[in-house]
Amino acid sequence: MAQRTRLHYQEELESLETTALGGLDLVVQSLDRVLEAVEHQDVELAELVVADDDRIDGRYLEVHQAILTLLATQAPVATDLRLISALLHVMKCMERMGDQCVNIAKLIPLTGHDAPQRREMLDPILQMGKQVRSQVTQSKKAFIARDVELARDLVRQDDLVDDLNKECFRVAVEIGGDKDTREWALTMCFVARALERTGDNAVDIGEQVAFVVTGLFREFEDASHPGEAPTPAP
Amino acid sequence: MLDEVADKATKAAGAATGGRVGQRPGVDMSGVRDPGEQDRSSKKGRTVKTENIFELQDVSVFYGEQKAVDSVSMEIQRNQITALIGPSGCGKSTLIRCLNRMNDLIPTARVDGKVIYHEQDLYGKEIDPVEVRKRIGMVFQKPNPFPKSIFDNVAFGPRILGMDNVEDRVKHALERAALWDEVKGRMDSNAYGMSGGQQQRLCIARAIAVDPDVILMDEPCSALDPISTGKIEDLMMQLKEDYSIVIVTHNMQQAARVSDRTAFLIVELSAGEKERWGQLVEYDETDKIFTNPSDKRTEDYVTGKVG
Repeated sequence: MAQRTRLHYQEELESLETTALGGLDLVVQSLDRVLEAVEHQDVELAELVVADDDRIDGRYLEVHQAILTLLATQAPVATDLRLISALLHVMKCMERMGDQCVNIAKLIPLTGHDAPQRREMLDPILQMGKQVRSQVTQSKKAFIARDVELARDLVRQDDLVDDLNKECFRVAVEIGGDKDTREWALTMCFVARALERTGDNAVDIGEQVAFVVTGLFREFEDASHPGEAPTPAP
Repeated sequence: MLDEVADKATKAAGAATGGRVGQRPGVDMSGVRDPGEQDRSSKKGRTVKTENIFELQDVSVFYGEQKAVDSVSMEIQRNQITALIGPSGCGKSTLIRCLNRMNDLIPTARVDGKVIYHEQDLYGKEIDPVEVRKRIGMVFQKPNPFPKSIFDNVAFGPRILGMDNVEDRVKHALERAALWDEVKGRMDSNAYGMSGGQQQRLCIARAIAVDPDVILMDEPCSALDPISTGKIEDLMMQLKEDYSIVIVTHNMQQAARVSDRTAFLIVELSAGEKERWGQLVEYDETDKIFTNPSDKRTEDYVTGKVG
């Protein structure tokens, strides 16, 4: 009696998810490159990151079109509908993360070839980068596994990123004695800010994981009401 | 007795058209809540008062020895569209036919459990099935006009029941069925000359003409093209202000579009698959059924993963 139907549609849906989440791998690649460029003041690598963002934008448009087609032709409902809605959000987040990498890449030439890099500032920046990279890969993993706990853990990781961001600002104030160092340190504050926003986007993807699984669309943590009870566990 | 209760309900429903849906005249609703009434947000985001028009308690239906529907309990609310969906053989048509005792006409059919209509047992000894079918009209899958003129089709019920102002009733019913403008110049022509969609609206007008309280629709659009289907759906949205509607449909998008609440039934098989019967799996707000159903079987059916 219960035989599987709409197999073609199911395949399309699965391949759509794979293509969409694959976009996060592109983000990780950009992130790796841009962090290396920051560490080594590599202007050429930074330019590559800017140019390569077209691939991320292209993926965004490709998935967006595929979603429109599925909505128009298959009238998805229930979990399928939640998945498609979530993927739209994920793609928007992915595109934003790509743009943040571009923002960072464009800052690199501004500091010049032999900028007065300082370890006490560079270290927390690179550590932030590592942390954010781990957030992005974990958001993808959580989505594939439909693992709400793993998605929720992104909030904990994001707290670490926020702390590092504050640390960067504190160091910048401290080391900004001479003009060149001040300029470099301020630029690094923008880098930290871009990384911090990327981490937030990973948390947003985690929220979509919870939405697909539970049907509840809530923020894990509300920035305007910090410390209040987040989404009830499913 | 049934007449009295239903009459009150019909009048109230009719009066409500002018004002807010579901609000009854002469009753100050501001602080009072009838038992059984509850606030709920409708599809349009308005809050409307609802009350039960039917209450099914462990309803099972048998054809001879064969069980067709197993122990369904559900409440159907007034001025709402309630959809019954499910695969072929799940008993949704059998179930909707219980609501106006159409199963009485099948000699071997037996209904167990209780169907409460306006707080009365629909299958009680004192209840007149003809009166039931007047109060609770039915529209079938295939339009079934009588081989008579358009006017006579709609006038048939009121004449038999000895109602007054037959001409006004016919006009009003055709207007309510969004058919008047299309047929007012040819009331004497044969109903068979109408298109399928018009014939179906004629059948709806015929049901409306006897002042029913509930309209049951058993796959009313499955023989119609999309335009006619759209017209019937628009009509249902208008009619629910005055009547309560229960619809059986194979078209899940239709259930999603028009209904306020949706019941999903499934076919259960006995060990050895010798017997099969219908069972209610999930009954909830339509939005919930189509965005986040609670039961895996509902999910699989509405997404079309199993057929």
